[in-house]
Amino acid sequence: MQSFKSKGLIALISALLCVSLAFVFMVNRASAHKVSHDADTLKAFNDAFMEQVILGDELFHGATMEGINMSNTGMACAMCHPFSSDVHPHEYPKFQEQMSEFATLRDMINWCIEKPNEGEIIDPDGEAMKALEAYIYWSNRGSVLDPGRH
Amino acid sequence: MTDNKHDRDHVVGNVDITRRTFLHKSLLTGGAVATGSAVGVFQTLSSMEIASAAMSEPFSFAWVSDTHLYPRELNQRFIDKTVRAFSEVQAMGDKFDFMVFGGDLAQLGHPVEIELGAELLQEVTIPKHFIPGEHDWYLDLGESWNKHFGETPWTFDHKGVRIIGVDSVGRAPDYWSARGMSNEERMAHMSGLDGSQAGPWSGLGSEQRQWLSSTLSDWPKDAPVIIFSHTPFYEYYPPWNFWIRDWREVQEILAPWQNVTNIHGHVHQPLYNEIGGMRSIGMLATSWPWPYAPEGVPALTRPMLRVDPGDHFDGVGWSNLTMNAEAHMEVEYMMWREQVFGVGRADSGTGDNVNQKLSPRISDRGWTGD
Repeated sequence: MQSFKSKGLIALISALLCVSLAFVFMVNRASAHKVSHDADTLKAFNDAFMEQVILGDELFHGATMEGINMSNTGMACAMCHPFSSDVHPHEYPKFQEQMSEFATLRDMINWCIEKPNEGEIIDPDGEAMKALEAYIYWSNRGSVLDPGRH
Repeated sequence: MTDNKHDRDHVVGNVDITRRTFLHKSLLTGGAVATGSAVGVFQTLSSMEIASAAMSEPFSFAWVSDTHLYPRELNQRFIDKTVRAFSEVQAMGDKFDFMVFGGDLAQLGHPVEIELGAELLQEVTIPKHFIPGEHDWYLDLGESWNKHFGETPWTFDHKGVRIIGVDSVGRAPDYWSARGMSNEERMAHMSGLDGSQAGPWSGLGSEQRQWLSSTLSDWPKDAPVIIFSHTPFYEYYPPWNFWIRDWREVQEILAPWQNVTNIHGHVHQPLYNEIGGMRSIGMLATSWPWPYAPEGVPALTRPMLRVDPGDHFDGVGWSNLTMNAEAHMEVEYMMWREQVFGVGRADSGTGDNVNQKLSPRISDRGWTGD
């Protein structure tokens, strides 16, 4: 008898939970973020991105930041990669021939800083790396994603 | 060098692009390599032979350009490559009637850089002729360059060929005065290939076009002409000034002559194009190679092999050019690697970019408040 009552209570609670979830789902089904994105919000998102793109553009073209030294030869990334061409961010990750190992774009950026530019590698998760990555991807937007291709 | 159909691997129209192998740069022809691969101990060089109808006394000359020298204490690597090129030219000096330096001796046009270049050029004792590049010019608007190497344009006749050197860099529309740029800022904007502020700086300009027309006016239409310029005489890729902005007007001037060869630097890569009776041939840099532009590569061009960024002697060098007895221009890229041209898609400097789409840079558009 006791067991029957408990089962009934569990069934009742489960039913109420399902109804509640269904209600919540129907009301808020449009947004994973629970708010819609108006034009100002989207602009703010884009501004945050483009700020990094512009910083990356400057670094790519020879500007420097406190605490980093990306070149000791006078060379900047853009001298071999105008418009970020032949960087091929859309082909990473891949086996990188020069490194003889599987590599990400960030790995290759640091390889170029260390080898051709004779600079000092930067924090792979740091501000400069993220900005360089933003600029390189922005410059190559629209390229066909083709990871792994040499 | 005689034509050998066993060496021939690419024929388009009247252009005969050949490939030969040399043993330690001797003139002994090695085995033909139809695939373009280096074989055994042979050092593979490249050669393009361009046919023409007129006759001339044969002669050879060397081209070196785009050394992009920094001050000695900043970049020894570019000095090493410049010295290597000049030493090799000098070692073959008996072969050459003269050497042309095709511009961009300096990186930022500083007198220290130009003086360093002048010092290194003393290694070459054969006659030398000079044309400026934009990197030599826009710090002091050519003052240091002209002081060391004289003014451009110039012309002389040599063994039946009218030879002309033009300035395709020093006549840019003024992009600096209205924006209040300092000399260093003007040079900085010019020195970035993909910058937007210097605009369409490459061109001959009306005064020099008139000079060109006048210079050619007494020259027979079937006699060969060689024109040296820093930038190419056609529209390859204007965003990087891989052109002269007045190429159409220049073409009109040159159209009556049947055998015109334009030898140019600036692009840091092998290029070949034809318009009417004029062919344009792109030369290597000694400093570093540029990637091929995302569009506009002439269909007649054989792209060079993708470059290994870990080897700073890869994809660079100088050129050995011969106007042979049949007024054919032979071009031999003296690239410091075993293989010059890419063949398979994965190895080609253009074929590997099929998935790439590029956008111009953005940050310098706002740099002066535009």
